[in-house]
Amino acid sequence: MRKVLVLFLTFVIGGCFGQTLPEQVRKLEAEGQVSDARALVTRAVQDKPDDPAAIAALAEFLDRHGDAACRTYYEKLLTLGGSAQKSAAARRLVLLDLMAGEEAAAQKHLAAYRAAGGPGDWKIPEKTSGPIGPQTSVVEIPGPMRSFSRMAALSPDLSPDDALGALARNVVTNGYQAASSSEALDQTEYLKLVVKYLSQARELTKLAGEARAIKVPACESPETGELLKVLGYRMRGGCGAEVVLETVNASRAFLTIDSGFPLGELEQALRTNRPFSYDYAPTKVTVLYTPDYWVTGKDKEKGDFLDTFLSDPSLCRLYLALSKLDPHTAEEMRKAIPVQRIKAFAHVLDFFGAMLTLKDGKVAVPGGQRSAGVWAELAGAPPDQGVAFLEKLISRDDGWVASYYDSLIRIQGPALDYLTEPNRMKKHYTALRGRITSPGPARPVFRSNTELMLLTTRLRMDPNGKPHIPGGLDVWKKLFVEHPHGKYDGKLTKAAAGWKDGDELIEALFALCRKAVENEPLKMFMAFTDLDRRRATPLAPATVDRLIKDYRVYGAQYPIFAEASAVSDKTILQYLDAAQGVTQIRDQALRADTAGTFQGLVAMWQVFVRQNSIPTAEAEAALAELITPFGKLRSNRELFDAGRGGVATLLKFTKSAANANPHDRMLDLLAGNSGSPDLEAHQQLVREMIRIYEIQRLPSLKLLFDFADHLDALAKGEKMNAALVNRLASRLNDIQVPRSAMTTIEKNSMAFGYWTERHIDQQRKLNLRAMVEKAGADPEKLKDVKATLAPVLRDSLVGLAYVHYAPPGAQILQTNPIFIRSHDFLGLQGSVQTWRQTEVFGTGWPSSAGGRLVGSLANLAYALAEAEQNFLIPTREQALIWGDLVPQMIVMAKVPRFWNVKPVQVQWVGLHMRQGESLLSEAMVDAKLREQVMQSLDRRAPPARVRRIDTLLAGGRFKEALDQTTPAELFLLSTDLNSSRAGKDPINDAIARLAENHRQEVSVEAISRAFGTPKPTLANSYHPELLNLRTFPTLMGYSSRIMAESWESNLLYYAALANQLGMHPSQLNVAVPEWTQKTVESIFATHLEDWPALLRSLRLVGENARQQARQGAPAGALE
Amino acid sequence: MRRIWILGAAAAVLSGTAWLVAQETTRPTFRVKVDMVVLNFNVTDNKGRFVNGLKPSDFRILEDGIVQKVNTFAEGNKTPLQIQEDGSAKPLVVNAEDRAKGPAVDTFVGTNVFVLFDTSNYMYRGFVYASDAIADFIRGLDRADSVAVYTFSRNLSRAAGLAKEHGEAIIGLRKAVAGDDAALYNALLLTLRDASKVPGRKVVIVFSNGPDNASMVAPDDVRAVAEDEGIPIYVISTNDASKDPVSSSVFKRISTRTGGQVYFAKTWQKQVEAFESIRESLGNSYTVTYYPQQNPNDGFRKISVEIVGDIAKKYRVRARPGYRPQSGF
Repeated sequence: MRKVLVLFLTFVIGGCFGQTLPEQVRKLEAEGQVSDARALVTRAVQDKPDDPAAIAALAEFLDRHGDAACRTYYEKLLTLGGSAQKSAAARRLVLLDLMAGEEAAAQKHLAAYRAAGGPGDWKIPEKTSGPIGPQTSVVEIPGPMRSFSRMAALSPDLSPDDALGALARNVVTNGYQAASSSEALDQTEYLKLVVKYLSQARELTKLAGEARAIKVPACESPETGELLKVLGYRMRGGCGAEVVLETVNASRAFLTIDSGFPLGELEQALRTNRPFSYDYAPTKVTVLYTPDYWVTGKDKEKGDFLDTFLSDPSLCRLYLALSKLDPHTAEEMRKAIPVQRIKAFAHVLDFFGAMLTLKDGKVAVPGGQRSAGVWAELAGAPPDQGVAFLEKLISRDDGWVASYYDSLIRIQGPALDYLTEPNRMKKHYTALRGRITSPGPARPVFRSNTELMLLTTRLRMDPNGKPHIPGGLDVWKKLFVEHPHGKYDGKLTKAAAGWKDGDELIEALFALCRKAVENEPLKMFMAFTDLDRRRATPLAPATVDRLIKDYRVYGAQYPIFAEASAVSDKTILQYLDAAQGVTQIRDQALRADTAGTFQGLVAMWQVFVRQNSIPTAEAEAALAELITPFGKLRSNRELFDAGRGGVATLLKFTKSAANANPHDRMLDLLAGNSGSPDLEAHQQLVREMIRIYEIQRLPSLKLLFDFADHLDALAKGEKMNAALVNRLASRLNDIQVPRSAMTTIEKNSMAFGYWTERHIDQQRKLNLRAMVEKAGADPEKLKDVKATLAPVLRDSLVGLAYVHYAPPGAQILQTNPIFIRSHDFLGLQGSVQTWRQTEVFGTGWPSSAGGRLVGSLANLAYALAEAEQNFLIPTREQALIWGDLVPQMIVMAKVPRFWNVKPVQVQWVGLHMRQGESLLSEAMVDAKLREQVMQSLDRRAPPARVRRIDTLLAGGRFKEALDQTTPAELFLLSTDLNSSRAGKDPINDAIARLAENHRQEVSVEAISRAFGTPKPTLANSYHPELLNLRTFPTLMGYSSRIMAESWESNLLYYAALANQLGMHPSQLNVAVPEWTQKTVESIFATHLEDWPALLRSLRLVGENARQQARQGAPAGALE
Repeated sequence: MRRIWILGAAAAVLSGTAWLVAQETTRPTFRVKVDMVVLNFNVTDNKGRFVNGLKPSDFRILEDGIVQKVNTFAEGNKTPLQIQEDGSAKPLVVNAEDRAKGPAVDTFVGTNVFVLFDTSNYMYRGFVYASDAIADFIRGLDRADSVAVYTFSRNLSRAAGLAKEHGEAIIGLRKAVAGDDAALYNALLLTLRDASKVPGRKVVIVFSNGPDNASMVAPDDVRAVAEDEGIPIYVISTNDASKDPVSSSVFKRISTRTGGQVYFAKTWQKQVEAFESIRESLGNSYTVTYYPQQNPNDGFRKISVEIVGDIAKKYRVRARPGYRPQSGF
């Protein structure tokens, strides 16, 4: 009814004010009323089925929302439209046909386009098939691909073209281990099983014979026995309903089941005496070049290609390295460098070769012509000698030059200009290389140049072209000379005293990048650079000096300041003083409670600032007021008052009503902007938080404060409110004992959980009623009663932070009713973890009371996601990779909220993604455009993938090319080339109109804020933003988190999906966590860098959402 | 004039919306909810043999000492009986109207069996024999029973969803993938969550050798979920009880407290016997349902099943000790 009325009003009012149909439609879209817009334009076509204007409006509306039905209406315009409309429709149809994979239709529409005056140089390419690359051949793997994939831990969705590369990677990373008795390498259990499987598969291939199918005509046929023998099974009971297969050879039987042989089906066939047939054709997989290139004469005698391949990890490394290389470059290197020589440097090529490219026989080095001389000097051959340069580059200095090259080739802009200044380059490299080059950076299993890549990628340049030195040079000199945390490098300590320029500091940071130990100065440098990045006034030297001194203890807290750029130096120092004051509290229980209360309040302040509930201009004042009481706090009485005062401060700065229920108001604020018109989504989030809060049996802030007020009233002679006292008492009585199987002696000896269990126990023992009765009207005694509630208030405040970040599903919080109370703010005995990163502790320890979180709340969102990730249920047999990727994906889904996102911002992303797809499609028919597209992609994707996309587009394989392009790349492709598309199609027109009418909302900064992701490791902040970086490769140590953080595609993809489904942005608050969970559960990747697997999963979730929308399931869906 | 009317109409719509907003902002109340309780129990004589053929009138069910009014009573896989006001029993018949409201008649016929199979690295050696033993167990289940096969290592995998078709479960079982860390209690929790969504009688059978190196939840928190949901946990451990005392004691606790049982069965033969015993236990159990009487206790409610009359001294009852009522909006 409401919808009809809105439509009616829109139509009538719009008509009255002289708006055209497209204008009315766009207005509704901009207001987020997409389904109304759709209904309006659909009705217009129903009313006037031959009106070209109405048809064009509908076609373009559908096109903007990625609805395939738009082709039907563009098709109508070909007959009903004027000449301009006909030409535009034909042009659009060609591209849409190609996107849909319908070449014949595209040819027809191209003819129409040409007839309507379209360009004559568009040419639809002949569709190719088969592997991409200059030269490939085929080898056979016995048995089906599915079985081999299971055994070799490859993604089941992997194409035969990519199978050997993925296998090579697994052999390199998991196939061999150091032998205990010699320097040789032993096969791991993983590889032994692969080899054994291949042996069994060959036996089965023999049984399959010429027919390439394993056939058992009947239970009693001789084939049954032969097959079961190979499978490691035998029949128990005679043929017929009683027959059962049971293990006779455990080793073979294991392979049978683990490889997914259809044993259950075989057993069913035998029981029912029906024939059994199983296709057992060998799998053809693509091999780079020819098998002869890889297997030399001697090795050929050892067995077939696959046996040799698996038995030689260095060969696998070379294969992996060459498969990652741009095919043209790889081919040139293959032709010019003997295989044995290139094999010797396979590890360098593997880690640092992916960005090497040859063009016209030359290498385009970082810094271009200006730096070519230095590169010639560093490598030992000039870049214009092409392959000779590359050979030198990978073979020089144990891989250090290649590593240096790799870290510079990935960057652009002022940082590249600065770092490739010839003199500076030499200095930096000399520092990086050191005097002794061994061990090289490619020795470990994972590439070890994390810090180097971070330094070059995240170096911030000032407008004068110099690097930004937070706090000025003197504080860094002091760090290196006085080294408060221990000496970093003797030589640098000496040199630092004479530093005169920031360049020398950067040089020192390069020098520290070669060290295997943690590069603390670099981490600090990056952290403070990120702190300064969004600040109007950079941090003062004294502040940076203090931050440096306190880094080891309080460094994990610094991202809080990075997120709120308005926080002054004074407040930062005040925060550190307060934290120090808390650390100095001797009573352990009071220290933990004070830290918990303080951090709980700050965590909420952080959320409110992030969600704009506290205006940016007031963030500073709010934080200062919040932390003031904590500096010199020494008793539970003071702590309770400080906690309550903190809540009052938060309520004040969030403009809450004076009589607001503090607990309800906090929940509303944590859920997000409660002023949003989308009450349903808001209530859904609030309900979920209440549910967890209740399961954790935490008393509400309202109950605690009412009780405290009542104690004050009792001191003034009021009568006891038994109901109120009982309500709080019964809540505390509900707290359960930690369910642990360890004895007290064991717990004490392990010093794990002692203080948290004491914390819980003390609350359980509180007999509030007796205490109140005993206190009578004595004000001091009543204050003591109030003081006993300080630990309870801590839990309630910490609980609010937990429920805000609770991951989808939240199994731990639902199951362990004391999980929040168990947060350990002290940490293991001997370690001070009060201000460190939040960590998950106690997993896989059945005798403990379950895992818990330890440390501060600084990293709570990530820690909760990490703890929850193993509760996600893969939709197929098993997830092959998850690790650090999944917690980061959950963080991406939980930290950003979409209350302040405007419908036009969702449209903006959706339109750019659509334009990105159109550009890929158009690049198939327009060779000049394809060059531009590749130049854009080159800025973000590795050369091998760009060439692959190029080849696929040239071969008319749109879908495959799209599958190789990440949503972030697609979005940036569109923004890069947007200006050159002006007036060419309705999508670009729509983008232009949004840019014109909503300049602020669709600015780069606004879109980055709306659909950016938090990057606590990469950018030292939870502030959601888009950095538009190349996706990082797998790195060593903490840096696999960096790799996950550099993936920015999810939210962009979901935004485009929301645009297609006609969802209001506020619905993303509920949908994004759900979609993320589904995406994670559908990832089946071979390795950490298997982004195509993540893409497949994203698109699967998108397709399911679209299907559901077509069936009318979610609100706001296309009808 | 016409424009004025339109604006007026728009204002009416807006004020209507505002009224709706005011209605909807009311904070939802989270409170304790008590649904129908499903209680399974076994009766054994003093030699540990199952006792069959007892009638509804032979039992008295108490919750925190309050006698409960039994709604239905069933023995093994026989058709459940509806207990009348006067205490008499007649076969449960559900008419079309009732069917639309709640679970079908056959909800309480047969058991929903969830097999949870450890396929982690710890089970590497015994993997195939375990698979055989589980397959035998599934084959031997009553036709009325539904079965699901879940496997776990670091994560849970639903190898075969709950179905009456036992062959499908075996096919799912035979496709399990081995390897990775073991998060037994995480997986058990997720299995219980799935089982709790299914109406009727259900059990979870864990087949594992015990070690857990990846769970975030404590075994006793998982046990509490099983207790509250009324789902007995049976455990077949392929380890010696003495080899891993921590796991052994945990297994004993989670099985006995939920009304299940633990078996330490290192050899294949012992595993087959364990499964046989579970099957027998399922076939010889009694199931009663009741809607709890008024009880102010929102915490743990103690359940006791008493046998009435002279036979009480001869027999012993094995049932879960109680449950916590669920909370919700």
